[in-house]
Amino acid sequence: MATHAEPTIVTPARGLSPYPTDYKTWKILAWTGPVFLAAVFGLWGLVARNMPPFPASATPDEVKAHFQEFRLPLLIALSICVTMTAFYMSFSVAVARVMERIEGPGGLLSKLEMMGGTITCAPVMVTLAIWLTAAHEVNNLPPEIMHMLYWMGWLLFDLAYFVTSMQIAACSIVFMRDKRDKKLVPNAVSWWGWVTFASFFAVSAIPFVTTGPLAFNGVISFWIAFFTWFFWIPSLSYFIIKAVDRIKAEDEAAGLVNA
Amino acid sequence: MSTLSCVGVVTTDRVQPRRLPGVDGVWVFIGADSVIFAILFLTYMQDRLKNPALFEASRHTLNTTLGGIDTLILLTSSWSVALAIQALKRDFIERVPRYLLGGVVTGLMFVGSKSIEYFQKFAHGLTPGTNPFYMWYFTLTGIHLAHVLVGTSLLAFLWVRSRSGAFSSSHRAVPESVASFWHLVDLLWIVLFPLLYLMKAA
Amino acid sequence: MSVLRERVTWVWLGLMALTCITTWGLSKDLFSPAVAVVGIFLIAAVKVRYVMLDFMELRQAPPPVRAAFEAWPAVVAAVILGFWFATPAIM
Repeated sequence: MATHAEPTIVTPARGLSPYPTDYKTWKILAWTGPVFLAAVFGLWGLVARNMPPFPASATPDEVKAHFQEFRLPLLIALSICVTMTAFYMSFSVAVARVMERIEGPGGLLSKLEMMGGTITCAPVMVTLAIWLTAAHEVNNLPPEIMHMLYWMGWLLFDLAYFVTSMQIAACSIVFMRDKRDKKLVPNAVSWWGWVTFASFFAVSAIPFVTTGPLAFNGVISFWIAFFTWFFWIPSLSYFIIKAVDRIKAEDEAAGLVNA
Repeated sequence: MSTLSCVGVVTTDRVQPRRLPGVDGVWVFIGADSVIFAILFLTYMQDRLKNPALFEASRHTLNTTLGGIDTLILLTSSWSVALAIQALKRDFIERVPRYLLGGVVTGLMFVGSKSIEYFQKFAHGLTPGTNPFYMWYFTLTGIHLAHVLVGTSLLAFLWVRSRSGAFSSSHRAVPESVASFWHLVDLLWIVLFPLLYLMKAA
Repeated sequence: MSVLRERVTWVWLGLMALTCITTWGLSKDLFSPAVAVVGIFLIAAVKVRYVMLDFMELRQAPPPVRAAFEAWPAVVAAVILGFWFATPAIM
């Protein structure tokens, strides 16, 4: 009787990526989330005088005067910010890999999250570059062009929100599906993601108003919409950074480190 | 021979664990929504401080009777939904759909009433752009109306599912979560109505 | 389950009555603006509190959550009334 050895079929754990995991790099990428936020908040928010932003109701002359008055801080803050926006992309990659551990390596939502986060960089970078140009060229440009550049920035910055909305939605959906007793990202953060998602829609009103709560500097379109997102980033980052360690411990316990 | 000691069942009615209805996360949403509206109320009062005469004159064009009826409608809606949850908790499963339907119908009545009110405004040439008061009126009631539409849709979804017995005392997290959101929608209007319609100037 | 005996029904009746009082009573001109506005918003705060405790079932919620939510109508009413009193009278 012929006996033959059954070929050993190795069924990879579904949650594990089919390639080696570099926990150290993963963690560094996760940390770029808070770095991005600090840069945007500190540079664009404070140094470039955007908290609150110069009003939507400003006249062309007022816009030009504002850019002349703050030309140097704007040049410094905006130029560094354009470069540092890339950290949002690197952060999104770290988040996507955590999502893959829940959704599986081929999952759609982790791809959507990574694309959403990466593409968010585009309107942000282009907007900052537009305003940087406005500051740079302010003494050569008439007030009407300055007004146009100011508005062009806001319309692009704000109305592209849905790429970020999709990133946030993808995160919330996947992290809420985590079957661990203690989820990698707690439900509270996912629900805050939904609050942020909902808060963005009102921003669509900005082309139509220059004063009141819906203007791009108003309580709804600026303070609420931006601060819900500003709070989502660090709260998510905290748990993503911790998740890398938790996943490493899980892999070690299963004997699958760098499998 | 074994003696079975009969242990009296401790009724859970008296010793009720402290809990929030529905899924925990929905309370993050409800809390955030409440705080956001509180910020909006504050900002509205700030803008009103700058031009009380304009706000008062514009306020007079609002239909207080319709607004009051809207409040009665939403309170009744909340009551109906609350009854649904009470029925669910005690497994009166066959009564649940009608109470949820009551919530849906009253929700739709609110939407209808608001639509009539908005059309009346537009017919008189009053739009969000007319002045700061109207910007606030349309924005606040508009965002609230969006909440009503979402809530009514969720209640309708619950109604459909309840008719096939999807929910029971041991499967009530989703209905409770939706109900809690709906009560938020109700309590926001309880503040919004007097803020916009009834607050007369000194 | 008798609807009439449910706590939520009694709360609802009370809320409906308070609504009629504020909408068609206190808002009438026989009350001075200050009395009307203070009365209306105190009643609104009470109504919100009952919706929270009895409809939202926060009576049975963990104490810190219940306290946080109960603070909302108090703070909102206080801020609104504070602003109202700070707003100049119109001629």
